[in-house]
Amino acid sequence: MTKIDNLKKERKDIAKTYSGKKIKDTYIDGVIKNFQDIQYVKIKDIIEETNDTKSFILVPDEDKGTRELASFRAGQYISLKMFIDGDYTTRAYSLSSAPNKINKGYRITIKRVPNGLVSNIMLDDMKIGDGLTISRPMGDFGYNKVRDEKNVIGIAGGSGITPFISLAYEVDAGLDDCNLTVFYSVKTEDDIIFKKEIEYFNKHCKKVKFVMTLTREEKPGYLKGHINKDMIEPYIKEFNTVLMCGPKALYKTMNEILGEFNIPRKCVHYENFMVDFLPIEEKTYELKVILKNDFKICECKSNETLLVAMEKAGIKAPSLCRVGICGYCRSVILDGKIKMIGGNMEKALAQNDYIHPCITYPESDVVLRLDI
Amino acid sequence: MIYDYIIIGAGLGGLSAGLNLVINKKKVLILEKNSLPGGLFSTFKKGRFEFDTSGYDIYNYGNLEHVGELQKLLNKYEIDIDTKVIPFNSRIKELSTKKEFELKGEFEDLILELGDSYPGVIEKLKELVKISKEIHEGVEKLLIDEIPGEEEYTNFYKYLDKNALDVLKEMKIPKEVINKLSIWWLDIGSPLNKLSFIDFMDFLEKLIFKKDVVLCNKNLDFIMKLVNKYQALGGKIYYNSEVINIINEDIKIVETKDGLQYKGKYIICDLAKRYVFKDLIKDEYKDVNKLENARTIGANGVVIYLGLNKSYEELGLNNYKYYQFVTLDSGTNIKYMNNLNHNTWIGYVPNVVNENASPKNTTILVLKQIYFDDVFKNQQAQDYETIRNDIADNLISQFEEAFMVDIKEYIEEISIATPFTIERITNSVNGSMYGYMKKGYDNSIHRIISYDDEEIAGISFVGASSLLGSGVDNTIYSGYSVTNRLLKEKE
Repeated sequence: MTKIDNLKKERKDIAKTYSGKKIKDTYIDGVIKNFQDIQYVKIKDIIEETNDTKSFILVPDEDKGTRELASFRAGQYISLKMFIDGDYTTRAYSLSSAPNKINKGYRITIKRVPNGLVSNIMLDDMKIGDGLTISRPMGDFGYNKVRDEKNVIGIAGGSGITPFISLAYEVDAGLDDCNLTVFYSVKTEDDIIFKKEIEYFNKHCKKVKFVMTLTREEKPGYLKGHINKDMIEPYIKEFNTVLMCGPKALYKTMNEILGEFNIPRKCVHYENFMVDFLPIEEKTYELKVILKNDFKICECKSNETLLVAMEKAGIKAPSLCRVGICGYCRSVILDGKIKMIGGNMEKALAQNDYIHPCITYPESDVVLRLDI
Repeated sequence: MIYDYIIIGAGLGGLSAGLNLVINKKKVLILEKNSLPGGLFSTFKKGRFEFDTSGYDIYNYGNLEHVGELQKLLNKYEIDIDTKVIPFNSRIKELSTKKEFELKGEFEDLILELGDSYPGVIEKLKELVKISKEIHEGVEKLLIDEIPGEEEYTNFYKYLDKNALDVLKEMKIPKEVINKLSIWWLDIGSPLNKLSFIDFMDFLEKLIFKKDVVLCNKNLDFIMKLVNKYQALGGKIYYNSEVINIINEDIKIVETKDGLQYKGKYIICDLAKRYVFKDLIKDEYKDVNKLENARTIGANGVVIYLGLNKSYEELGLNNYKYYQFVTLDSGTNIKYMNNLNHNTWIGYVPNVVNENASPKNTTILVLKQIYFDDVFKNQQAQDYETIRNDIADNLISQFEEAFMVDIKEYIEEISIATPFTIERITNSVNGSMYGYMKKGYDNSIHRIISYDDEEIAGISFVGASSLLGSGVDNTIYSGYSVTNRLLKEKE
């Protein structure tokens, strides 16, 4: 026998002494197997927060195979997957429940959007016990103890308050060692969501403070007007981290104010949750979508994203964040002129005609490759 | 439609296999689970930083003068990439002795330096270099299915069944010198008392003669070039296509999660054999199971990607690579690497070699801690987020302390990959970053010589878990080598 044959035999002989039965999972394999991208939940409770806002408590739907909810960090969102009249769409909602009390369920809060496809159904038609399909928690927004300073300033506009409630629970539970001051701007007192919880935090939690300001009315106990430099100044320390969640207009004014305090760029973080774009004129184009084994042709309007056009045509295009950040909807544009609003695209992908359909508007007929 | 080949996974191994097959006019379909190709070799963007997930040291590429196998192969594929040679530029700290030293320049410099401190060592190292050349050629022969001649390759046969540490000791190379030569064990993923001398010499040969490089552009740019070439030659690739079942009959049927089915005459998996036979093929193959239960999954780990808002000069990060070991003796050091917060890690500062690694006046720092055990086993799932941040915090503190630098106050972006992240994205068993561990009877040399015996009709394996192990050069070369054998068989 040659030396090579000897070596081969040695390997064979060792293998022979092992079990030929099933190959065992390792610890991490086992955990990953329980870890699903899609979670099935039931509505356990519906809470009327204001006249146009409701909160939904979501618990696992064991009948459908979800035994426990995936854990999350304060600031993360879930994407709600909806079938409406045969069409498929998604919406991202920040979680506002306590991350350390996952056994009590997720809480999402939905505000009515005039003519909104999903919000109106959720607010008007959904009842306790109804089932929903959601993604696992996603997103990077929130406090990170390695990256961030101990003095945290939160800026919340309207329903942008949701992630901060979750963060407040985290700080209250001692999971995050920081001082959190949240500036919460709403139109009137009636628009305040989570009023009781905010009062609780202000009274009982030394490390959390909510400062509320009303932009359209004057009432005792509240500041008046949009969040401004004078309101924030008393809370600024030598080192600060600023977290913002709200409409883009808010970010713009806030960035000017923060500039005056010399807060470096690395200390300011935003949650993107809106894409504002209005084309000059409204036109209708043709969208051809090349799927794996098929293709579909539908119409797309210059004032709606390619993702929305596909959803309206019944194409189950993947999506999560819907603001061009998560990368889940990425696909390749094969032909046509488009306009992509913002987004976070790697250079190599941009050079190879990748787009985020969720933030892309057509400017001509378009051909898109989408591997579904 | 029946494809000639269906490839599962668009990692470097899968893409290389696909390219070689379409170059040879085969009908090929690649199925990739994610929406992007690349697998463990990818790029992600966070804020104004683009982080490469891996590939900070690409071995066996070389330059114009010393052309490595990887460069030759990419030339064959007509893939043109911009690279920069990395001279040694590492700072190494040994915690137990508190000693710190730098490796700079070329391998010759290292030999001369060692010669100064240890008389007589130069001759021994020169001998070692000579042996490494012979051994490398022997391995090359085996890879193209030729048996090296016993008379011509005496050293190859002499050392065939020896581990690296034993041979180096036998050659009377001083312990301190062995330790300095073994710092790369973390790149290979096996300590010198487990690593075959053949595998070690093959690595050393690449290190000395085929300079390692970094990419001037990001990993995804390279990946896109491979995909574009593959598609231009008629290859098909479908994303969002996670394979959940393989029916291994004459004509193979592959089922994906979305309910579609594909047929092929042959299947190539850019996945661990263990995963495929555990989770994708329902039939029982006793011999495969036995071998798989006998093998050791390679180390997993946590990788921290940091975007810092100062230049590397301002931060005082002037070395490309930073290592901390408890002891330079690899066989001892590995014993300390079985808990969540141990003291062995590697750091990379890509900006030191490539000024375009991140925007002006910023720096990327990547810290990697490697675990040789299921260290997460005793942790509670609900503590996962806290544990992740604690590991990062601890690792950054250790780095700051070891090399007297300030990092924390300059962190603009942070991203943390754990074994869970890696397994979720790539299906790498136990989140392994090295495929299987090279040890005992399961070094590359053993996998290569047993390749034919262990083949299952109609299914082959490429990538980090196959013949050559992890690393950009090894995975790409595995795709080439395995498909070449298949093409030859078919003739």
